[in-house]
Amino acid sequence: MHQQIPHESAALHVTGEALYIDDLSSSPSLLVGRVVSSPHAHARIASYDLTKAMKAPGVVAVLCAKDIPGHNQMGPVVKDEPCLASGEVSFVGQAVFLIAAKTDAQCRAAEKLIDVSYEPLHPILTIDEAVASNNLLGPARTMQRGDADTALRSVAHVIKGELRTGAAEHWYLESQASLSVPGEGDEMAVYCGSQHPSETQTLVAEVLGVRKKDVVVEVRRIGGAFGGKETQGNHVACWSALLAHATGCPVKVRLFRDDDMIMTGKRHRFLTRYEAGFDNEGILQAVKIELNSDAGAATDLSFAIMERAMFHCDNAYFVPHMHVVARVWKTNLPSNTAFRGFGGPQGMAAMESIIDRVARFLHKDTSEIRHKNFYGLNSNNTTHYGQTVEENRLPRLFDELMESSEYYSRRVTVQAYNAANEFTKKGLALTPVKFGISFTTTFLNQAGALVSIYNDGTVLVNHGGIEMGQGLHTKMQQIAAAELGISIDRVRVNATNTSKVPNTSATAASSGTDMNGAAVKNAIETLKLRIAECVAGMFNEKNPSLKTSKDDIRFESDVIFDSKHSERKIDFAEAMAQMVLRQVSLSSTGYFRTPGIGWDREKGVGTPFRYFAFGMAVSEVLVDTLTGATTLLRTDILHDAGDSINPAIDIGQIEGGYVQGVGWCTTEEIKWDDAGNLMTHSPDTYKIPTARDIPADFRVKLLENATNPNAIHGSKTVAEPPLMLGLSTWLAIKDAVSAVANHQIEPEFSLPATNEVILLSIDNLRGQMKARASKQVSA
Amino acid sequence: MKSSIAFVLDGKVVEIDFDRSSQLTPTTTVLNYLRGLPQHRGVKEGCAEGDCGACTIVVGELTANRTIEYRAVDSCLLFLPMIHGKQLITVENLQELSGKLHPVQQAMVDAHGSQCGFCTPGIVMTLFALYKGGSRPSKDEIGDALAGNLCRCTGYEPILKAAAAACDGQGRDHFSADEAGIAELLGSIAPDGISISTESQRYDQPATVNECLLLMEKLPDSLIVNGATDVALRVTKKFENLHHIIDCSRIAELRSVSGGDRSLTIGAGVRISEVMELVRNDFPGLYQMLTVFAARQIRNVATLGGNIGTASPIGDSLPVLMAYGAEIILRSRRGTRHVKADSFVQGYRKTDRQPDELIMAVMLPRPSASARIQTYKVSKRRDLDIATVSAAFRVDLDKQGMVSDITLAYGGMAAYTKRASSAEAFLSGKHWDRKQVEEAQNLIDKDFSPISDVRGSAEFRRIAARNLLLKFWSETKG
Repeated sequence: MHQQIPHESAALHVTGEALYIDDLSSSPSLLVGRVVSSPHAHARIASYDLTKAMKAPGVVAVLCAKDIPGHNQMGPVVKDEPCLASGEVSFVGQAVFLIAAKTDAQCRAAEKLIDVSYEPLHPILTIDEAVASNNLLGPARTMQRGDADTALRSVAHVIKGELRTGAAEHWYLESQASLSVPGEGDEMAVYCGSQHPSETQTLVAEVLGVRKKDVVVEVRRIGGAFGGKETQGNHVACWSALLAHATGCPVKVRLFRDDDMIMTGKRHRFLTRYEAGFDNEGILQAVKIELNSDAGAATDLSFAIMERAMFHCDNAYFVPHMHVVARVWKTNLPSNTAFRGFGGPQGMAAMESIIDRVARFLHKDTSEIRHKNFYGLNSNNTTHYGQTVEENRLPRLFDELMESSEYYSRRVTVQAYNAANEFTKKGLALTPVKFGISFTTTFLNQAGALVSIYNDGTVLVNHGGIEMGQGLHTKMQQIAAAELGISIDRVRVNATNTSKVPNTSATAASSGTDMNGAAVKNAIETLKLRIAECVAGMFNEKNPSLKTSKDDIRFESDVIFDSKHSERKIDFAEAMAQMVLRQVSLSSTGYFRTPGIGWDREKGVGTPFRYFAFGMAVSEVLVDTLTGATTLLRTDILHDAGDSINPAIDIGQIEGGYVQGVGWCTTEEIKWDDAGNLMTHSPDTYKIPTARDIPADFRVKLLENATNPNAIHGSKTVAEPPLMLGLSTWLAIKDAVSAVANHQIEPEFSLPATNEVILLSIDNLRGQMKARASKQVSA
Repeated sequence: MKSSIAFVLDGKVVEIDFDRSSQLTPTTTVLNYLRGLPQHRGVKEGCAEGDCGACTIVVGELTANRTIEYRAVDSCLLFLPMIHGKQLITVENLQELSGKLHPVQQAMVDAHGSQCGFCTPGIVMTLFALYKGGSRPSKDEIGDALAGNLCRCTGYEPILKAAAAACDGQGRDHFSADEAGIAELLGSIAPDGISISTESQRYDQPATVNECLLLMEKLPDSLIVNGATDVALRVTKKFENLHHIIDCSRIAELRSVSGGDRSLTIGAGVRISEVMELVRNDFPGLYQMLTVFAARQIRNVATLGGNIGTASPIGDSLPVLMAYGAEIILRSRRGTRHVKADSFVQGYRKTDRQPDELIMAVMLPRPSASARIQTYKVSKRRDLDIATVSAAFRVDLDKQGMVSDITLAYGGMAAYTKRASSAEAFLSGKHWDRKQVEEAQNLIDKDFSPISDVRGSAEFRRIAARNLLLKFWSETKG
C-alpha cells in the first residue's frame, strides 16, 4: 500500500502483448462490420434499397432499422437515440445501415451499392441558432443562494461578460471497437471498450430483444476513454451484436479514426453569460451565471453534465449571492457526451474568467483576488448548493504553491521581461480546482466485487470498474494484497465481466478507486473472517491449552498468525489449501454504497458529494505576439491525493490530466462547416498536445500529510480534477496578451486560445490602443 | 526485374510474391501486413495517416560499411515494396529470448511511461531507434524524436524521462550481437529493380534513372513517388486503388549529394532527415524549416524531391528553396534542365515538371555572407502540423543598410507557394528600417487574397503574413 509499483500491465504494454479489441484472435468465421452513416445533418430518409449491397461479394448481411429484433434504442437515460436511424437523420455520422462482410474492403464496396435518398431538412448547428428557434432539450434549471439581483444593485462594481468554450474530441488512442460472439440460444458475448459494461449489457439485450442473463459483456482494458466510452462505447457494441445476431458469426466493428471522430460526441460547447458584483477589495458579493450547452442531437448525459457545471461554476470561491440558470440546447450534431471533468471545466472556466477580470479591473494580481475569495476554513465555507466544504485544502495549497513556485519573484521577472520586449510577452497565472467526488445521481454511487482465493494461495479479483489506463486495476491489486497481507504477485485482477459482478455503475465521476476499492475490501473482510475462524480452530486443535481467538488472527507478509502468540502461524498458501480441505468457501462478493450523500434536485440543495478534491497550478507562458505561438515555460502543480495509494500512478494522472486540459485550452479546436460536417475529423486537423507542447519545466507534487477520512486507506481520487488545472495555462496566455496593452485594456478572449484567437485578440488590442492614442492626440 | 519482394523479419528472410498472394497487394501497407500476422499485433493503428505514431516500427537498412542503420517509421504510410531488402523490427522483437526486457522497455516500465498502453508499442519503437542512434540525446532531441507519437494519457513527462534514462550513449543490445548475421541476410537479397503486376495494379521500382525514364515514357499516367508519405494517404484514407506507381526510392543516383564552394546539390531521393544533417550548418534557414517538417518518422521516409513534386499550397520546403534561390534539376530522355524554385510551381498542385521529366536534384547556391535568411511556420501546433501560413524571407543589405535584394516567399496565402512581389518591389533599394517595413506590410495585403479554411480564417492569415515581415525585420535589423 502507498507504493509506487508499476502499472499491472506495464510489461504487457511495452512488449506489445497487451490485447485490445482489434487484437483479439477469433474464429475463421469472423466477419467485419461496418456502419453506414448519414451524410446529412438533418434529413428525411426518403427511400432506400439494400438489395444490390446484399448481393455484393463477401457480404453476409446488410441491416437497417427494421431488422432490429428488439428496441431500436440506445439512449442511456432518455430513450431518444435510435440504434439505427429510421425515418429521419439528425446529425452527420448518425448510423443508418450496418454491413457485415468477410473484409473491410468488401464492406466499403457494398456501402457504395446502397441506394438511399434523403430529403434535406433545415439543421440547427450552433447554440445561437438553437436559442433563436427555442430548441431546448428540456426545461431550464436554476440553483441559487441569497438574492443575486438585489445584491448586484448595491455592490461597488459590476462586470458583465460572455465566454465561449469549445468542444473537444477525446482522442483516445484506441478508437471505438467491439467484438460480438454469438453463442447457443440467445447467448451473446460482447468484448468491447465500454466504461459501463452493465449498461452495454442492458442495451445489447434490448436491441436484440433478449434478456440480460443471456448477454455477457467483458472489458479487459481500454486504450483510453476519458468519458468518450461511458455511453458511446455502447453504440459500437450494439451494432456488432446486431450483426452477430443476424449472421450467426462473430462480428468485429472497429471505427476508423475519421469515422469515430465524425460519429461520436464531444465535450459540450458552452456559451456562458455572467454578471459579477464585487467590492473595492475584489471580494465577490454576487454572481449571476447563465450556462448554455450544446447537447447535440440526443440527451445522452447532457443534463448530468450540465448539473455538474452548475455545481462547479463556483470553482473554489465563496459567493454569498449566487444565481445559476442552465439551459441545454438541442442541435443537429452528434450527441455530446462525458469528457473528463463532465461539465466541471466549462463551469470553472466561467468563474475563473470572472475572477481574472475582477483582478484586471482593480489592477491587482489575479492570485491575490483568488486568495481573497477562496472558501474559508471555518466560515464562508458553504457552497451555493448548501454543502459544507470540509477538509478544505485551498489555503494550504495556495501557501505552499505560491512559495514553491516562487510566484511573486517570477511575477516581477515577467513584468520586467514584458517591459523590455515588444514582440514577445510572458504571462503567469495560478488557478485552483475544487471538484466534488460522487455521481450526482445518488443511486449510482455503488460498486460490487467478487474475490476468489485459490488453494495455491493466489487471488483473483473481479470488480465492476474498468481499466482504461488510469491504473485502477493496479490499485485494486494493491488494496487486495494489503488487505490479505500477501505479496502483490499473488493477486491478479480479472477482466471486468458482467457475469462476475452484476448491475455496476460506470467507471466515471472519478469514483473508480474509491468505490470499487471499498467493495474489494468488503469482499476480503468477509473472506478473512471465515479464514480467521478456521485458522484459529486449527491452532487450537494442535494445542488446546492455548486459546487463539479469531479476532487475534492477523494477515501479514504472506503469513497468517496469532498476534498474541506469534509462534502460532501458517503460510498463507498452505492455509488456503487447508481451507479447501476443511470446506471453507474462498469466494465472496463485496459491496459498497457511498454513505452520507444525498440532495434535493428540485431545490438544488444538499450534499451531493462525499468529499472534494483539490489542486492548484501555476503556469508561465511565452507568447509570440506576431504569430500567436505559445510556449509553455513552466508549470508547478500541487495536488491533493490524500494518502496516495500509488504516488507514481497519481502523478501520472495529474500530468496527463493537466496536459489534456492544456489541449482543450490551447490547440484543440473542433470545427463544423455550414452543413454540419465535422471539418476537424482526423489528427491532421485536430491537434492534441505532443511531447513538445508540455511545460519545458514541469513540477508536479502531491500535498503531504493530507489524509482523507472519506475514502479507502485515506486516499483521494485524482482522475478528473487535474484537467481543470489546464485553465492556468489559458489565463497565463491571457495575461501575456493583456501585457501587449500594458494591462490597460481587457483582452477579448475565448477558449481554446488557439494561435488564431490570440493573434486576433492582440490585433484588436492594438486597434484599441491606436484609437485611444489618436483620441488623446485630438483631445 | 523481380515480381516479388524480400525482407528480414524475426531473423529470417521473408519473401512475398504478389502474383500468388491473394491478400496482399503492392499498396498493402506494412501496418496492415503486420497486423495480419498473429505474432505481430503489437503494432497499432491509431489514425492511418502518419499523425499519431501508434504504428511506429523500426526499419533496419544496410549501410555501405555493412552496419545496420535503424530508423523509426510510420508503418501505416509504407507500401510493402518499400521494405524490400530491409529489416523490419517490431515491438515483439525487442525482448531478449530469456524474456529480459530491452533497456528502452525496462525504462518505460520503471518511469511509469504507459497508462492505457495503446500508444506504447509505437513509443517503445521510437525510443528503440533513438537508443540505437548511440548518442546521449539532449532533452530537445528526445522531444524531437517523440513529437510524432501521440499519447493521450501520460502528458509525456514519464516517457521523456524513460528516454533520458534508457539512451546511455552506447546503443548496445542483442541487435548489436546479431547485426553481422542480419547484415549477411540483407546482403543476400538482390538489389535489383522490382516490377510487380497484379490484376489491377502495377508497381515498379526501377534501379536506375534510365529505367525510370523509360517507364515514365511508356506509362505516362503513372504516379511517381519517392517516399510516398503524401500519396499513401490516397490508399490509407481514401481507399483508392492506385493503378500504376513508379517508386524511385531504389535509384542510387537520386540519393547522391555533391557540391563545392558555390553550391550544394542534393539528390531528390535524399530523405528529409538526411537533408537536415547536410544543411544544418550552411543553410540554417532550410534546416530550421525542416525541424518542423512533419515528424521524424515521416522525415525518415519523405524525400526532398517528393515534397517539391507534390507542390502543396503550403509546400514546406518550397518557400525556403525560393529564398535560397534554389534550382530544381529535371531530367527526361530529351535532356536535363534547371528551373528556378520560384517558377517551378505554377498553380494549385501544378508544377513546371513535364510528364516525362524526373526531379533529379535540388541545387542550392551558397548564400552570400550578407544574406539574412529566416523561415517561419504559423501552425496551430508547433510539431507535426500543416502550416496555416509559412514563410521564408531573405534580405541582402548593402553597406549603407539598403536592401539590395529581397525575397518574401509565402505558403498558405494562395493556391500555391508564392512571393509577395509588390512588397518586395517596394522594399528593394529602401533602407531596412521599421518605417519602411511597416509600409511594406500594407502591400502584403495587396499581394495575397488568402482564403478561410479549417486551418484558419483569411483575416488570421492576413495578420500573420503582415506580422511575419515585421518579425523578420526585428530578427535581422541588428
